[in-house]
Amino acid sequence: MFRFTIRRLMAGVALLLIVTSATFFLAHLAIGDPTAGLLGNSATPAQRAALHEKLGLDRPLFVQFWDWFSHALRGDFGTSWRNFQPVSDQIALRVPVTLSVVIAATVLAAVLGLAVGVATGLHPGGALARVLKLASVVLFALPGFWVSLVLVMLFAVRLQWFPAVGYVPLTQSASGWLSSITLPAVALALSAIVMIAEQLRNGFVEVTKQDYVRTLRARGLSPRRVTLHVLRNASPAALTVLAVMFVGLLGGAIVVEIIFNLPGIGQLTQSASQIGDIPILLGLTAVTVVFVVLVNFLLDLVLGWINPKVRDI
Amino acid sequence: MAACTNTTAPSDGGTGSDDDIKIGTLLDVTSWDPAQADIGFDGPYLSAVYDPLVSLNEDSDPVPGLAMSWKYSADRLKLTMELREDVTFSDGEVFDAAAAVQNLEHLKAGVRSGATYANVERFEEVDEDTIALHLKQKDEALLYYMGLGRSWIASPAAIKAETLATQPVGSGPYTYESNTSTPGSEYVFTKRPEHWDDQTYPFGTLHVLPIADPTASFNAMLSGQLDVAYANATDIPRAKERGWNVAADVATWVGIQFTDRTGERLKPLGDVRVRRAVNHAFDGAAMLESVGQGAGSATNQVFPAGGPVHDPSLDDRYAHDMDKAKELMADAGYADGFEVTMPMSSIFQPWQPSVEQTLGELGIKVTWKDLSPADYQKNAATYPMFVAVLALDSNPAASMDGRIVSEQWFNPNPSTQEFPEVQKLIDEALDVTGEEQLPLIRELNEEITEQAWQSVWYQADNTYFSVEDITVTPITGMMFPTLRFIQRG
Repeated sequence: MFRFTIRRLMAGVALLLIVTSATFFLAHLAIGDPTAGLLGNSATPAQRAALHEKLGLDRPLFVQFWDWFSHALRGDFGTSWRNFQPVSDQIALRVPVTLSVVIAATVLAAVLGLAVGVATGLHPGGALARVLKLASVVLFALPGFWVSLVLVMLFAVRLQWFPAVGYVPLTQSASGWLSSITLPAVALALSAIVMIAEQLRNGFVEVTKQDYVRTLRARGLSPRRVTLHVLRNASPAALTVLAVMFVGLLGGAIVVEIIFNLPGIGQLTQSASQIGDIPILLGLTAVTVVFVVLVNFLLDLVLGWINPKVRDI
Repeated sequence: MAACTNTTAPSDGGTGSDDDIKIGTLLDVTSWDPAQADIGFDGPYLSAVYDPLVSLNEDSDPVPGLAMSWKYSADRLKLTMELREDVTFSDGEVFDAAAAVQNLEHLKAGVRSGATYANVERFEEVDEDTIALHLKQKDEALLYYMGLGRSWIASPAAIKAETLATQPVGSGPYTYESNTSTPGSEYVFTKRPEHWDDQTYPFGTLHVLPIADPTASFNAMLSGQLDVAYANATDIPRAKERGWNVAADVATWVGIQFTDRTGERLKPLGDVRVRRAVNHAFDGAAMLESVGQGAGSATNQVFPAGGPVHDPSLDDRYAHDMDKAKELMADAGYADGFEVTMPMSSIFQPWQPSVEQTLGELGIKVTWKDLSPADYQKNAATYPMFVAVLALDSNPAASMDGRIVSEQWFNPNPSTQEFPEVQKLIDEALDVTGEEQLPLIRELNEEITEQAWQSVWYQADNTYFSVEDITVTPITGMMFPTLRFIQRG
């Protein structure tokens, strides 16, 4: 297990290096000199040149990369080109917002996906299974932003149960926090619930046919204990889907963050892209990759714990 | 659950308390440091915590702020200002001439604010309540820019501590409540009862919410989370149905910027007949209706519609006439057209099909070079012509300088000297001041319209919705007006 853990960690570090380096050079190639955009209409060429120098853009690209990389290793992602504030401070403000929504959506998807998956797995021909089938078709056909807008119009505008926009930090008000993340989390979780339930149901149907399940039943184990055995063997696929979902939700959060006006990393990514704020984009990329690596690492550990054969892969 | 939160409010506008106001703007605050802030959308944030030396009134004329009065010397190279004596900053520091000079020096050194003071040589503390700005050359737009958002005055202690960017300390009508604010989502301010201009700011608690998405902003108005919103013109009928106030005024001009008017890089553009042909070819009114949702004014001019320089009679100068456009092209020797490479980015794609089709009818074959939105501003002006959406200024002298005379990213080579009539009018306008300038700038406007310096299709409005008992007065030059333009009534 130790070697397995080290291997996975090293793969994660390599991924982090490759993605951030590629992002650095691609961003500089694609965005180039951002000073005109940052200074606006009335900027003179002299002002642009001064800002160019202030931002260090007059140095060779490799020097700029090494400067960024060596600082990033120490947790210093530089300063934003928009407001000249530390990137790490701004990301630290935004990460809790996105994580609040994504974790809430993941928990919601895991709990409801598990419940529906087990229920439909136990009764694959039942009414709930048919509803799940229909829901999966409908939810995949509908764009995520449309579902979000329907939730806003119904629960925020018409019923006024939840706010239409905005975010309240947990440290400010627990109920306000819960209220502000409920609709975005539901919007993100809906299709994830269906996907996890489908995976679990398929796994359940497959595992239930196995000989050892018949043996367990023949030995007189209670249906509850048999179900738990089946669940353990049917869950890897669903767990993988859940982890992929989490990573996907991190990227997909941008849509709900814009619709619900949440100041998360998705919204920050969008605004930084528009004005070409490369330090912010690089910081966000590094943080997102760390999350992806961590989630995959944890998934590998769990899968390795469930199934020792995985450790040899 | 809604009752437990501080993000919801009663339906159909109104924030629960008559004393509160919730304002939805398009962008987050750039910086709380006035030297690093933008004029465009930072108005509501900065005007809450800072007082300006100079304000603007509804006609965009400079009016007193912390400077009670001002006077130019006979040669217009010295501007003397008398300051208010009854002002203290929220940290207890006193506002006086030393504080004013310190602030102006800070603004002159600022990355974004510095351009306003480019013509100022030095600032002088004349006495405790008097300052003087010594100019290197006349600057008729200086007071306008100061009023637009370039003379916010911060506490000297905060400037010295270099903490302004995150912790604003001013003498303004409100104080920023960082404990109850959520950066990026909602900024909360409470009124300072001791403020010297208490009457101008009727709201007790102020909430400013940056909401980039127009749909989210409209939904926030519908759910009662906002009293004022930066709006999308497509929502105007629905806003009127709900009894909201709709305020709009021109903010940008939309069209084609010719960066090469001398034909140095693309010979045909050096011929005024070709530039006029392009002007005649576009149906600006139709583009305003289709792409601009009808929110704006169809015009050929770069001076704001309704302003003192804009001449309505010139709006027919380039009436849509494809036959005439083709005739002009033939007269110029380009009956078969020519080829041009133009930049394009996602922001300008709504106009791309019209541009391609219209220029195509003239025989002008466009090759598009795709750029990222961020790269567009850097590179667009390296092409001989490009699709532009450029901000307008309400002040004639500022408009003349920014759109015609000085180098800008969108106009890297003003080439005024290549157009003797244009240069002559600029020289004459710069030689006089104030009201005497106006007729000359009007003539200049006519001349550059005649010379087809741009192909302006229309001027686009910025639109604001507000609930029934709140009014917003748009100011051309401010993408979102400062708080003094958001009032009860």
